[in-house]
Amino acid sequence: MTLIFLQIVLFSSILGGVTIQFNKLMVDYQTGNLVIEPSEEEKYIENTSSLQKKIEGLPEVIGSSARLRNSGVISYQGKEVGTAIYGIDAGDESLVTHLESAMIDGEFISRLDRGEIILGREVSGGYGALMESKSLGGVEVGDTVDVKIEGINREFRVKGIYSTLYSNTDSSAYVNKADMEEIIGVKNRANEIAVKTTSDINEGDARMKLLSLGIKEEVRTWHEFAGMLKTIENTLTMLRNVFSAIGLLIAFVIIFVVIYVNIVNKKRQIGVQKAIGIDQKVIVNSFVIQAMLYAFIGIMLGYLIMHYIISPYTITHPIQIAVGPISLILENFEALSRAVLLFLAAVIGSFIPAYKLSKKGLLELIWGK
Amino acid sequence: MENNTESNVIIEAQNVTRTFWMGEVEVRALRDVSLKIKRGEFVAIMGSSGSGKSTFLNQLGLLDIPTSGTIIIDSVDTSRMSEKEKGEFRLRNLGYVFQDYALLPELSAIENVYLSLMMQGKNKEECQKAASAMLIAVGLEDRLKQLPSKMSGGQQQRVSIARALAHKPRVLFADEPCANLDSTASKQVLELFRKFNKEEEQTIVMVTHEDWHVEYVDRIIRLKDGVLE
Ligand SMILES: Nc1ncnc2c1ncn2[C@@H]1O[C@H](COP(=O)(O)OP(=O)(O)OP(=O)(O)O)[C@@H](O)[C@H]1O
Ligand SMILES: [Mg+2]
Repeated sequence: MTLIFLQIVLFSSILGGVTIQFNKLMVDYQTGNLVIEPSEEEKYIENTSSLQKKIEGLPEVIGSSARLRNSGVISYQGKEVGTAIYGIDAGDESLVTHLESAMIDGEFISRLDRGEIILGREVSGGYGALMESKSLGGVEVGDTVDVKIEGINREFRVKGIYSTLYSNTDSSAYVNKADMEEIIGVKNRANEIAVKTTSDINEGDARMKLLSLGIKEEVRTWHEFAGMLKTIENTLTMLRNVFSAIGLLIAFVIIFVVIYVNIVNKKRQIGVQKAIGIDQKVIVNSFVIQAMLYAFIGIMLGYLIMHYIISPYTITHPIQIAVGPISLILENFEALSRAVLLFLAAVIGSFIPAYKLSKKGLLELIWGK
Repeated sequence: MENNTESNVIIEAQNVTRTFWMGEVEVRALRDVSLKIKRGEFVAIMGSSGSGKSTFLNQLGLLDIPTSGTIIIDSVDTSRMSEKEKGEFRLRNLGYVFQDYALLPELSAIENVYLSLMMQGKNKEECQKAASAMLIAVGLEDRLKQLPSKMSGGQQQRVSIARALAHKPRVLFADEPCANLDSTASKQVLELFRKFNKEEEQTIVMVTHEDWHVEYVDRIIRLKDGVLE
């Protein structure tokens, strides 16, 4: 019973963990909670520094990072990689994303550094990159790479390499915003402003707050960016529902059968109880209550193991899979609905045989005739 | 002893026939058996294997329904009772000892004994008191809390005797209670039966096929091919 409960909870929570992880990575390393984008016909958000000041005046806003985004080609020792390159203000970025703490070699770029670049591990290669063949094949910190943006070539020194395990971000590169402004010839503009809000406000409300400041640009919550992730998430959710439905069905059947067989084996015992003159209702109830007790203990045990051992363990030691580290999270509602179903299996699985047997003739029960 | 002979009879079997059908084959296990057993009597039913001893005991003990004929217990015609009423009657008035003890394995000795008392709606304290008194009477004062699986066959059978007698049944039925026991344990069981028979005037109907058991009983009923000899 415990095992069955664990198994289906474990399975669906792995899948649940994956979806949650997708979203978390995106929020943590790319979008923040909200993203401001230029209004439809515009290429840039104008006058970003005053807009940022306005936004950051809100108590719900932790920070904002204005980014210039361009596609570019990075080349190193004859290899070339086309990628998104962001121009960022290092200080601002660190308030919005965890990029700074995702460095696996070298250092994060600082506000004053010029001519320096940090590369995602999918760009640099090495460091366990998932698609090594599409990378530069092992750039190291301190190497110099060639960057070509809008037809302009620049040399950058690699200051650091990061890995967020979020593949979108890991196949990008970041340079100082000042360098980017110089290359493309703009000032005080951005392609996007990522905004990090405090955890006590939901994204929808935060968006309304920003709009009420009179921002004429587009303000989107991260959910809208999920895009492809959304489809993956939907697929995963569906898969997960299918699997847990199957798992639940199997669990239901197993519990039903185990209890059923167990009671059928007590045929004689039921006969003896009946012979003594114990009421049929009492006999049936005693088996149902017994099964409920076992189910309850099994489910509690499964829940406790999940809640106090497996969940905390995987939160501190996430399981590394392709999409990133995941932890097994037990959603209480799900656990509850499963528990109720398994419980039901136990009740039905005990009631039916106990009732049927207790209806049989005494001789048949006691002497198996 | 009362003079009125009718009220001295506790069980009466009137023309009891029990026929089993095994597919097309008719097995006439009992044929027109009539018998009276007196209050306080210790009766042994004997006969060779397949002679119908168990079948007869099951009719007397209301564990089975005769094909024809009636069983009258304490002037009550039991053929008019519903199954539910029979269950209630067995619970309150009859006690059973089975060959293989038939104790409930999950329950301790004392719980096995007070189960039927509890079912009669007595409060727990009362039940426990009566049950432990009963277990002491069968010589198991040091095993009250033990599970049946931890006991010898003789001890288990004594628990089952305590269970059968705890509610002071009008009749105790025992189907080969010693069949699985060695002679020492058998003697203990038979002596217990005799003790309750003498001291409490307990009516006992016992099936046996051991000749040496006859010295414990008041009367022997012999069956052969479903008829009284
Ligand atoms: N439920 C039943 N269905 C069919 N036949 C039965 C059934 N119970 C008993 N019989 C048959 O009735 C006859 C008498 O059986 P019974 O069990 O009463 O014998 P017994 O004297 O108790 O024998 P033993 O000493 O072996 O216990 C036997 O031929 C037996 O096969
Ligand atoms: Mg028999």
